[in-house]
Amino acid sequence: MDELDLTFVDQAVEKIGTGPEKVLGLLQAVQGHFGYLPNEALERVCELTQITPASIAGVSTFYSQFRHRPAGRHTIRVCIGTACHVKGGGQIYDAFKRHLDIPEQEDTDRQKLFTVEKVACLGCCMLAPAIQIDDITYGHLTGEQVPAVLRDFLEQQKAVAWQADKQTTDTKDFGEIRICLDSSCVASGSEKVYEALQKAIQETGAQAVVKNVGCPGMSYLAPLVEVVVAEGTSFRYAEVQPSDARAIVSRHFKPKQIGRKIKNAVSTMLDKILTDKAWEPVTRYSIDVRDRPVADFLGKQLHIATDLCGRIDPADLDEYIRNDGFKALQKCVNQMSPDEVISVIEGSGLRGRGGAGFPTYRKWSAVRNSKSDKKYVVCNGDEGDPGAFMDRMLMESYPYRIIEGMTIAAYTVGANEGYFYIRAEYPLAIERVDKAIEQCQQRGFLGDNILGTDFSLHLKIVAGAGAFVCGEETALMASIEGRRGMPRLRPPYPAESGLWDKPTLINNVETYAVVSWIIRNGPEAFARLGTSSSKGTKVFALAGKVARVGLIEVPMGITMHQIVHDIGGGIAGQLKLKAVQVGGPSGGCVPANLAHIPVDFEALKDVGAMMGSGGLVVLDETDCMVDIARYFLDFTQNQSCGKCTFCRIGTRRMLDILERLCNGQGKKTDIEELERLAQMVQKTSLCGLGKTAPNPVLSTIKYFRDEYEAHIEKRCPTGKCKALITYSVTDDCIGCSLCAQHCPVDAIEMKPYEKHEIDSEKCIRCGTCESVCPVDAIEVQ
Amino acid sequence: MPKLFIDNREVEVDKGATILDAAGKLGIEIPTMCFLKDYKPSTSCMVCVVKIDGLAALVPACGTVVKDGMRVESNSEEVLQARKAALELLLSDHLGDCLGPCQVICPANMNIPLMIRQIAAGKFQDAIATVKKDIALPAVLGRICPKPCEKGCRRAVFDEAVSICLLKRYVADLDLQSSNPYSPSCKPTQDKRVAVVGAGPAGLAAAYYLQQAGFCCTVFDEQEQPGGMLRYGVSQQDLPRDVLDKEIALIEKLDVKFQSKTRIGDTLLMDDLRRDFDAVFVATGQLKPDDAESMGIEASPNGITVNGKTYQTNLTGVFAGGDAVHKRRLTVRAVADGKEAAVSISQYLSGSSVTGTVKEFNTHIGKLRDGEIDIFLTCADKAERTSPAKLGLDQNPPLAGSGKDGGFTDRQARKEATRCLHCDCRKTDTCKLRQYAQDYEAKPTRYKSQRRLFVQKAQHPNVIYEPGKCIDCGLCIQTAAAAGEELGLTFVGRGFDVRVAVPFDRSMAQALKHSADQCVNACPTGALAFRIEL
Repeated sequence: MDELDLTFVDQAVEKIGTGPEKVLGLLQAVQGHFGYLPNEALERVCELTQITPASIAGVSTFYSQFRHRPAGRHTIRVCIGTACHVKGGGQIYDAFKRHLDIPEQEDTDRQKLFTVEKVACLGCCMLAPAIQIDDITYGHLTGEQVPAVLRDFLEQQKAVAWQADKQTTDTKDFGEIRICLDSSCVASGSEKVYEALQKAIQETGAQAVVKNVGCPGMSYLAPLVEVVVAEGTSFRYAEVQPSDARAIVSRHFKPKQIGRKIKNAVSTMLDKILTDKAWEPVTRYSIDVRDRPVADFLGKQLHIATDLCGRIDPADLDEYIRNDGFKALQKCVNQMSPDEVISVIEGSGLRGRGGAGFPTYRKWSAVRNSKSDKKYVVCNGDEGDPGAFMDRMLMESYPYRIIEGMTIAAYTVGANEGYFYIRAEYPLAIERVDKAIEQCQQRGFLGDNILGTDFSLHLKIVAGAGAFVCGEETALMASIEGRRGMPRLRPPYPAESGLWDKPTLINNVETYAVVSWIIRNGPEAFARLGTSSSKGTKVFALAGKVARVGLIEVPMGITMHQIVHDIGGGIAGQLKLKAVQVGGPSGGCVPANLAHIPVDFEALKDVGAMMGSGGLVVLDETDCMVDIARYFLDFTQNQSCGKCTFCRIGTRRMLDILERLCNGQGKKTDIEELERLAQMVQKTSLCGLGKTAPNPVLSTIKYFRDEYEAHIEKRCPTGKCKALITYSVTDDCIGCSLCAQHCPVDAIEMKPYEKHEIDSEKCIRCGTCESVCPVDAIEVQ
Repeated sequence: MPKLFIDNREVEVDKGATILDAAGKLGIEIPTMCFLKDYKPSTSCMVCVVKIDGLAALVPACGTVVKDGMRVESNSEEVLQARKAALELLLSDHLGDCLGPCQVICPANMNIPLMIRQIAAGKFQDAIATVKKDIALPAVLGRICPKPCEKGCRRAVFDEAVSICLLKRYVADLDLQSSNPYSPSCKPTQDKRVAVVGAGPAGLAAAYYLQQAGFCCTVFDEQEQPGGMLRYGVSQQDLPRDVLDKEIALIEKLDVKFQSKTRIGDTLLMDDLRRDFDAVFVATGQLKPDDAESMGIEASPNGITVNGKTYQTNLTGVFAGGDAVHKRRLTVRAVADGKEAAVSISQYLSGSSVTGTVKEFNTHIGKLRDGEIDIFLTCADKAERTSPAKLGLDQNPPLAGSGKDGGFTDRQARKEATRCLHCDCRKTDTCKLRQYAQDYEAKPTRYKSQRRLFVQKAQHPNVIYEPGKCIDCGLCIQTAAAAGEELGLTFVGRGFDVRVAVPFDRSMAQALKHSADQCVNACPTGALAFRIEL
C-alpha cells in the first residue's frame, strides 16, 4: 500500500488545536479528508497533540460516525429511525445491499463506489423511509426505486449546478416568496424550487425576493412556498415542483421592463407549447390557510418555541431583532437580577424539555448557588431519539432564539462560557448556529461586555459524532471533554460538578427556546397554558402513519387524540389507530383506547410512556408491537455506552428474547423473563438510557400482551415478522407476471397467463410482489 | 461526620466515604468486582448494589457517597436477587472453561491440567500431590482406567487427546519408585472411629481420605488381602500385584487398620459396627438386596439406596458407595465415591450438616467453532500424541513403568505434557466472578444466547489476554495509565461489544511494557492472567 500523505493531519492539528478535548474535532477532520480513520493518521495526531493513543482509540470506536476501514466514494445512509422503520427502512437497506451486491459482512460494493450504512435517524421522519447519499436526501422510497435513486444520484453528480446571481437590489417594497430550506424540506426538493424561483424572478424581472424562512412545520406539504404580495395577503403552494416556479412568479408579480414582458410572454407561450397544462399544476397545489386541512394542522397549535414560524429568515439577525429579538436579554441584563430571572422562570412552571421534565428554575438556582470561579452553560442539541427532529428544526430555524435563551441562562447562573453540543447528523443546524453565534458576537449580544454590561459569554459548538447516549448529560459532558461518552454515577450533579468539574447548567434546545418568550410575556402567560403540572407548550415531531406529518407545537394538556386526528388528520389510508409511540427508545406506547390522555409529564408516565424529547410516531393496525419493542431494544442495546452490566448485557438478553419471539422460537416463559429482566435493568442502571430502555418493552407487554402470546405460538398477527409469514399467490392471479418481473431474488417463475407461484425458500419477504400486483392476488400468512 | 445505618446497624464514617467503606467498618461484606481500593470506582459491574431507603433504584455501594441519616439494606432479598442477576448476566457473556473439560468429565474430578503443567515443569512432587488429592490409587488406575478424561480432551479436535492416563501413571509410578513416596499430611487424630466395610477401591479411597481428616479407620474385608475386585477380579497382566500392594501400603502407612477374613453378618454384625464405631461406610462391592436388608439397610435390585449427594443410607451414621450402590461402575467412579463419602462422613462426625461434596462452579465453552482450535493451539506443542511403545529404547528410562510395560519415559512424559491446550482458566482459584457465582448460586446458563468467538491474545511473554472473560471493569486500563504506559489499554466499541483492547491493534507486549503484572493482579477474572500458573 502506498504511504499515506499525512500533511493534512499536521494542518488539521494546527487549525483545530492540541488539547485533549479536541479529539472529536480532529477525528472528524481526519475522516472528512481520508474518508475513514487510517491508523497512521491517528498515530500522527497522538504525536502532535496531548491526545493519548488510548484516548483516540477509545473515542474513535465509540461514536458511530467514525469508520476504520476505507469507504466507497459515496456513502449511502439508510435511515432506520422509528418512522422509517415502520415504513420499511430495513427493506430499503436490504434492497441497496442486494442491488449493489454487497456481501453480508461488508458495507461497500466491489467497485468501491458506494458504502451502505444504517443510521439511527436522519431527522427527516416525514420523508420516511428516507436515505441520504452524501448530502442528498431521498424520501418516500420503496425497494423498487433503489436502482432509479442510484441512477439519479450519479447523473446529478455530473450535472453542473445552476448558480443564481446574488440579489443586490433594494428589496423594501418587494413582495416575498418564502420557502423553507431546512434539511428535510431540502430533501423534499425545496432547494431546487428555491433555485427555480430565483431564476424565474431574474428572467421575468419580477418585483419579488425569494426568502429562506424557518420551517413552517407542515412537512407533509413540502416543498411549501408562501407568496406574500405587497398588501400583506399571502398564498401558499404545496408540493411545489421546480417547473411550477415560473408560473407562480408570473401569477403574482408583474415583470419590470417591457422587453422582459415580451420575453416572458414568449417563454410562457413556449411553456404552453411544451406542456399543455401550464397553469394547472399550480392551481392544483394551491392551498391557503382557509383550506380546512391547513387550518386544522395549524389551528390547534400554539407557537412559542417556534414563534414566527415560516415567516422569518433563520440567518437574519435584523429581522429577529425587528420581531422583538433580544428584548428579553436586554430586560434581564439591564433591569433584572439573576434571582428575579429565576423567580420568573419558577413562576412560569417551565420544566426541562429534554425528557425527564425537571423544573428548570431548580437547575438554574442550583448552578447559581454553586460557588466557583468558573461556570458553564451547555445546550443539549444531541437529539438522538430515532423518530424526533424538533431540536434540529429549532436550531435550523431559530438559532438566535436559542442563543438568547442560553445567554439569559448564563447571565442568571453566572457562567461566561458555553457549548452547543449538536449531533453531527445535523450539519445545517451546526452551520446556522455557528453563523448566528458569529453574528451575535459582532453585534454585542455575545462576547465580552454584552449590551454594554460587564456580563460576558463566549459560546462554542461541539459536534457530536453519533452516540445516542450523549444526550445523557454526564455522557454529553464527557464527550465535550474529549472522552468516550460514558455516563457516570450522579451525584455529584452537573450543577455542582460538571464540565471540567465546574458547575454546569445543561438544558435542552427547546427549553432555551422558550425562555425569551417567558421573559417578554411574563411567567403568567406561560403558566396559563397547559395542565396543573405541565405548563406552556411542547414541540413534537409528528411522524408515522398519520396523514399529515410534521413539526408541531401544541399547548400542554392537548390530548393524543386531538394531535393524531385534528392536527395529523388521522391515520393515512383506511386503517385504524393502534397506538402512539411517545418518547422513542425511552418512552412507551399509548394505545388507541387511552388516546384521550393529555400531553402532560405525569399523565404520560402513568400510562407507561414518557414525554421524552418529543417524538410522536403514530402506529396503525398493521404495525407489530413485538417488532416495535424489538426495534427499540435493538437500538438501545447498540447505543448503550456498555459500562453497566445490566444495560450492556441485560438489554442484549432482552433483545435475544424479542428476536426469538419474532423468529418464532419463543418459549412460554419468555414474557415473564422479559418483564423480570426489564425491571432489573430499570432498577440498576446508572443513567437515563439504561433506566428507560425497558419502557418500550414493558409498555407493549402491558397493552399488547396478546401479540406477545401470539408470537410464542409462532404467529405474527400483523404479518410483520418475516420468519413467521409466507407469501403466496391466490387464485385471483391474472398471470400478468409483474410479480415475477419485480421479484429481486427470482423467487417467482414467470408464467404469463398462468397462476404464479412463490418459492418460499428463495422468498426474502420484501413485499415487492404485493406492492406491484394489480389485482391484490398476493396473500401474506 | 455522617452517620448511617446498614442493615439496621449504625456507623459513623468520614465525610466523603462510600457505603462500601461504611460496610467495611461494620464488617459487612459486600461483593465487588470492578472496584479495587485506591482506584477510581468505575461503578459498572453492579455486583455491589445495595438498597437505600426511599430510593426506587439500587445503587452501587462502591461509588455512592454516604449522606447523613441514610438507611441502607445490604442483604435483603431484592439486593441479593439483583446481585445474582448481575452475576448471571456477566456469566452469560463469559467465554471460557473454569475447569478443563477433562477434569469435568473425570469422575474423580482430578485437576488434570494442573498435573500436566507440573509434569511439563518437572515438578513431580507437586504433580503427585495434585493427583493424590483426588485419586487414592493412581498407579492402579493408570493401568486399568477406561480414561473418560481423554474422551473430553479438547486436543482431539485437532489430532488426538493428550495421553492423560499414562501421564498420571507416570507420576504415580515415579512416586512409588522413589525412596520417599508421597504421603499426605493428616490432621491430628480425633477420638472418632470409622468402620469401612470392604477393602476394594471405594473402601480404600474412603479410608485414605478419612484418615487424612483425622478419623481412625478400620477396614474389614472377607478376603485374605485387601484390594477387593482389583485383586480378585482384574488379571495380573492388566494390573501387576506389586503395584497394587505398594499403593495399598501407602494407604496403610497413614495408620489405617485392616481386618481381613471378616464378613459382616457372620461373626460381626452391622449392629456391632454401629455400636463400636462412630460411622460406617459400606463398600462391599456388588451386594445382593437380601444381604443388604439383613444388615438393616434399604436396597433395591440395583444396590443400596443412598442419598446421591451424601452417600447416606437409611441408617443414621451408615454410608455406602462403590459397586454396593451401583452395579459394575468404573473403578475410578468407586475411588471417587470413597473420596466423596469421606467428605460426608467427616461432616457427620464433626457435627456439621451433611451436605456432601460441593460441586465446583464451572462455565463451559462447549463445542468449538471453526478455527477456534487453532487459537487454543498457539500455546501448545503441535506434535502428535506420544506413544510409549515406539520409544521403548529410550536411553534413560525411569526405573518403573517405562517402555517395557507401556509407561512413559521422563522425556516422553514432558513432551506429551506440552501438548495440553490449557483449557482450564488460569485464575480458577482467584477469579472473583467464579467465587461470587458460587456464593450466590448463580447459574451460568440462566440466559442462553449465541456466544462470541473464542479469542486469546498470547503476544505478551508473561500474560495471556482472553477478551471473552473481560467484564469491562477497566481496572487494567487505569493501572496501565497510572503506570505511565505509552500505549496502554483502552475500551473500544460501544454497547454489547465494548471490550478492552490495545490502541491501533498493537500487541499486548507493546501495550504493557512494565505494568503487566499489576494488570493481571487487578483483573478480577481470568481475562488477564499469567501465562503459566502452577
